[in-house]
This record gives sequence, structure tokens and C-alpha cells, in this order.
Amino acid sequence: MIVTTKREFKDLLANIKDYNSFFLIGCSECASLCGTGGEPELEELKEALEKEGKTVTGIFRAKTGCQVLGTKVELKPFKDTIGKTEAIIVMSCGAGTQAAVEIFPDKPVYQSNDTIFLGNMTRYQMFDERCSLCGECILDETGGICPVTACPKGLLNGPCGGTNDGNCEVSQDIKCAWVRIYERLNRIGRLDDMKKTIEPKDWSRGQKPRAMSVRKKEEKKK
Amino acid sequence: MSFSDILNSGKFVVTAEIGPPKGTDIKEMLHHMQVLRGKIDAANITDNQSAVMRICSLAVCKLAMENGLEPVLQMTCRDRNRIGLQSDLLGASVLGIKNVLCMTGDHVSAGDHKQAKPVYDVESVQLLKIVDGLNDGRDMSGNDLKGATDFYQGAVVTPESNPIEPQLIKFGKKVTAGAKFFQTQAVYDMEGFKTFMGHAKKFPVKILAGIVVLKSAGMANFMNKFVPGIKVPQVLIDELKAAGKEKALDTGMDIAARHIKQLKDEAICDGVHIMAIGMEDKVPDIMERAGLL
Repeated sequence: MIVTTKREFKDLLANIKDYNSFFLIGCSECASLCGTGGEPELEELKEALEKEGKTVTGIFRAKTGCQVLGTKVELKPFKDTIGKTEAIIVMSCGAGTQAAVEIFPDKPVYQSNDTIFLGNMTRYQMFDERCSLCGECILDETGGICPVTACPKGLLNGPCGGTNDGNCEVSQDIKCAWVRIYERLNRIGRLDDMKKTIEPKDWSRGQKPRAMSVRKKEEKKK
Repeated sequence: MSFSDILNSGKFVVTAEIGPPKGTDIKEMLHHMQVLRGKIDAANITDNQSAVMRICSLAVCKLAMENGLEPVLQMTCRDRNRIGLQSDLLGASVLGIKNVLCMTGDHVSAGDHKQAKPVYDVESVQLLKIVDGLNDGRDMSGNDLKGATDFYQGAVVTPESNPIEPQLIKFGKKVTAGAKFFQTQAVYDMEGFKTFMGHAKKFPVKILAGIVVLKSAGMANFMNKFVPGIKVPQVLIDELKAAGKEKALDTGMDIAARHIKQLKDEAICDGVHIMAIGMEDKVPDIMERAGLL
């Protein structure tokens, strides 16, 4: 899921200082699980803004905030309210914010969160980054542990000299990705996989901005 | 004689590290070069070591040549992508730099520009393959070069890495990728190093043992605690402590000399790489104490 973190309220206030009335949009997916854009957070921000003398004309938790058309349809009943509101605050990820920008081309849209990474939820509201969306997966060669993500240097052929009793030179809180890969490959009897040299990555596979369509050609929007 | 010729001649080789300064005042560094001239076989010029921004290795390699030293260009993958690395390697080649040490490079979080974007487009094993390709007259995309390079390429290894197996697997990959010589992380436990050499000797490469001069018991304790892959045995720390503050550096130099002598006399490895860290002018003294001058 897309992991988000709340921005400092004072920073949000500084960004929205030119406006007085707001409509808040949260998201039922990732942001709810991260505690940054679910019902409690929507209520909490509403209250905080009102304390600052701002008006909140409405709050709404989108089903999937990054889904542009679906969110647009969901927000139809609020058309008049939003029309009379000065600005929108999105409480999800950067994708959710930009969905709102697309839905409301004439309205200022602000965001209450920073978007940090694609994460696995390891325990309730605890997240780990496991995938960097690089566009060229090498998990089959590395025992299913991604060194592009798990190693701060993204090393592809083994640990650097900074590996430290199984931990990383960058932080003792990080386990060395290549020690993990070594242990995993050893465990599944595939240590020879580690002896193969992995070639430099084709970073062009991750060239931004990326887009894709799985629609059949004839279905494409005219 | 080139550095590769010297290493292949069977002579016990001595290289010393020169860390370029931060800023344009190079008086002290030039003095160090003068002191080392004619004494060491090659000077290894660091590449923004510890991720602290300094004069680039390439420019200092050129200065080393002008001052009568055979330079080894350290190249890390931290600050340049594959275009920058290859371009600098071609530049080094036309300046007459013959030796290159390929390394990954300390992470930016260790240095003085912690907000920098680390590059690591490629890493040490892949960089060795790139150098091999340039020597064959082609870049890493397979394009023909108008004139090939002729580098003697090396790499680094940490004999006291824990666990050691992943480190040894990577060592093997570096050899396959074209590494001809290796410079190790600082070693203090000669018996442990012999175990590592038992493995390394199976490969057709030259090994230079890393020697970091201990300046005090405090420095030894600091390295044990904070520098990955370095283990200073307690007996050496006790020796430094017993020497007292005044004599600690002298004792550290004695320890370095003793280790160098043992490595040479017992033919444990092919030479040493002395990292004096700012005390490059002490290197000849250490070599003398080791019986090398």
C-alpha cells in the first residue's frame, strides 16, 4: 500500500492561509490504514481547523481516492457544497491529491500528508518498504528479497564493506539486505544463485512519468 | 616499472593512501607527496572518502604523477552514474592514469552532505566489468571506443566482515569481473588474516593488506565500535594503553611496522596498503621500522 504520514498542522495552516472554507477528502484504502485519512482523522482535522476559525463545509471519505472516475462519481452529491467552498484538503497520498486536482480543475487543492513509500503492513499500522517500483524485478534472482529496496545503496551483487555483524552501515536498525538474501538462499538450498553476477539495471524501465493500459485497443477512449 | 609489473615481479609492494583536502590549499598534501616519493610503489587517491566532499580523485592523481608518484585512482559508484563513471575513466586514461580501484563508496549518510541523492546506478562488481569493457575498446552499451583504455583494475575486500561467507562470494564475483588486485580493509589480527588468505590464494589476484596506523587506545576502541569490518584485538589496545598518551602514536607505528614485517617475512600476502589518515609523512618511518627502507 501507499504509506503516508501526517504533515505538521502548522505547515498545513501556512499553506492554506489564504482561504477560510474547506472541504476535506479522505480515503478508505491506504490512508485509513496509515491513520492519515480515515474517519477519525477527517473529524480530527475538521475540529482543528474550526478551532483556528476556519469553516469546514463537509467531510468525505472516498472509497479509493486515487481512482479518478470513481471518486468523481462519489463526490457528485457534494457538487453544490464544494462549489461554495474556497479550497479542498485531501487527506490521502499524492495520487489522491492529484485525482482531486483533476476532478476540480478550478479549485485550489491542498494536502495534509506526505507520501513516503510503497509498503507492506507488517503489524497493525506498522509498515516496511519492500518494493521500489523500479520496473524490472530481480526477486527471482535474489531469493525473493529485493536489494534495490532493502539495501540503502541498492547493491545487486552482494554486501558492501559496511555490513556490520549482519546490520547496515547506514543504521544498526537496518538488517543488511545481502546478509538476509544470503541466509534466505542458504535456507532454501539455492546459494549458487548468489554467485551469479547480476547485470546493471535498465533504469529506463522506471522512466517517469509512467503510464499503462491493459485495455484492448478497440476499447480505448476516443 | 608500472604498478602491475611491480606487483607481478614478486616484490613486497607498499602503497599509501592520500586523502585529498577539502579546499584548494594543497600545500600539505604536496608535502606528503614529496615525503612519499621514491619510497612507496603507488599512492592510492581516495574518492570523497567517508562521503565527505573534497578535491576529486582524478585531479589529485594527476598531481601525484607530476610529483613523481604512481597513482591509483579510487572510483566509487556513489556520486556518478554510468555515463559519468565511464567518462571519468576515459579522462583518467588520457591523463596517463593506469590503475583504478573500483568500489561502491560509503553511503552519503556517513558524510557532510547528508541530503545528497546517492547514485549507485551501478556498483563495484559491475564497475569492474565496465573497466574490463573499456580496456577491450567498448563502452557498457557495446559501442566501440575510438581508442581503448589500458587500466590495471583492483577492488576492495573486508577480511573480517561478519558473516564472512557473503563477503567471500562477492570477492569471487569481483575476481570474475576482472579485478587483478585487492586492497583490504584494515587488518589487525594476523592469524585471522591468514585464514582469509587461505581462501584468497585460490584466486589469481594480488592482495595488499590494509594497515591503519593506530594513534591511541581511544581510536582503536572507536573503530571497534563504529567502523564496520574492523576489529582491533584487546591485546593491541592494552599495548597502546600501557604506552601512555605521549608514546601511544609511537607504539601504534611500531604495531603497524611489526604487522608489515610479519606479512612480508611469512609471505602471507603480496604487499600492504598503509592508510595513515592525515599522517602520510609518518609512512617512511613506519616502512623503516618494518625493515622496508
